[in-house]
Amino acid sequence: MSIYQVNKLLYLTDNDAAFRKRMKENPEEAIKAFSLSQEEHDALTSGAVGKLYQMGVHTFLLNHLSRYELFGVNRDNYLSRIREGMEYDPRFEQGQMPMQYFIKE
Amino acid sequence: MAKLVLAAGVPHPPRLVYEMAQAPGKMRGEVLMKQVREQVEKAEPDLIIEFDSDHFVNFFYSNLPSFCIGMAEEAQGPQETWCPMPRYTVRGHVPLAKALFKYGLHDKFDLAAAHELRLDHSLVVPLHFLNPSMELPVVPIYTNGFASPLPLATRCFSLGRMVRRFIEAWDGKERVALIASGCFAMDVGGPLRGWTDREWEETISGLLLQGKYQALARRATEERINKAGNNSGELLNWITLTGAVGKTRPLFLENDDGSGYAVWKLE
Repeated sequence: MSIYQVNKLLYLTDNDAAFRKRMKENPEEAIKAFSLSQEEHDALTSGAVGKLYQMGVHTFLLNHLSRYELFGVNRDNYLSRIREGMEYDPRFEQGQMPMQYFIKE
Repeated sequence: MAKLVLAAGVPHPPRLVYEMAQAPGKMRGEVLMKQVREQVEKAEPDLIIEFDSDHFVNFFYSNLPSFCIGMAEEAQGPQETWCPMPRYTVRGHVPLAKALFKYGLHDKFDLAAAHELRLDHSLVVPLHFLNPSMELPVVPIYTNGFASPLPLATRCFSLGRMVRRFIEAWDGKERVALIASGCFAMDVGGPLRGWTDREWEETISGLLLQGKYQALARRATEERINKAGNNSGELLNWITLTGAVGKTRPLFLENDDGSGYAVWKLE
């Protein structure tokens, strides 16, 4: 298993309309097609963004969890979640997620 | 012989188009983009070569070249559904792209080529402003500025020099403009989102304004780039561009919160 599979399913969520639909309707079912380790599976399905970040998921792809509001992740909790497990950094104070303007499919 | 007439660098925030339309006249980016556009119009180019980095839209870890020439007859974008802006068809220039590919290989650049492209916002946002109605053909040169390990900045600089030599050797009458797409320092989707590495931003601007392009390429190590946030590898596109401008200094360069807007007049 490798983190590649997590990166891949997030990549497909953004780039493949049919897969995105499956992810929105039943994400637990949709990710069964990928060979995730138990640790990867648990981190993903619990929306543990910080854990996934530490495991090496690319942040451009990780961000799709908040864009498409998957596994409980959204624009409001994304930053606090990705920082879980990190030491406090004063630069955090300057950070906020930008607005998201969705185009309906 | 074709002629390089202008080089420009701009960022590509996907929200820029939408936010400008919502609140016209309020954003610094709008004024700066207009300034760049005026110079592009004055230069009257026939063709654009755009240095860009993808964002996992055209490329993924399954196939991720360090350098790749776009050779599609035409391509559509931005592909991202969340990108609030018009969708465009962008024309390519296959003969020039093919010739550039071959010229690069013979010049010891082991480039990749892509005959089909899915354009992301980073390719299209600058064109929305600088290539109205997508009239001019565009040849993209992709550099992996987003997924480590990145190519060396000094190598990007050499790539830019090669592109300049190619343009001058190209058997056509085109007036060519170069566009570098990308920011200087930014974190997107990472834990430091919203923070800007001002020190790095100022270092970059200072070296660009002084024409110290090779010094910038030497200082832009992957370690330094990553320290400035996960999106800061887009600087490589600017560095490639500086390889093509020779000793010319920018006509202007303005910063805007981790990004730069600049124009080099080359005739």
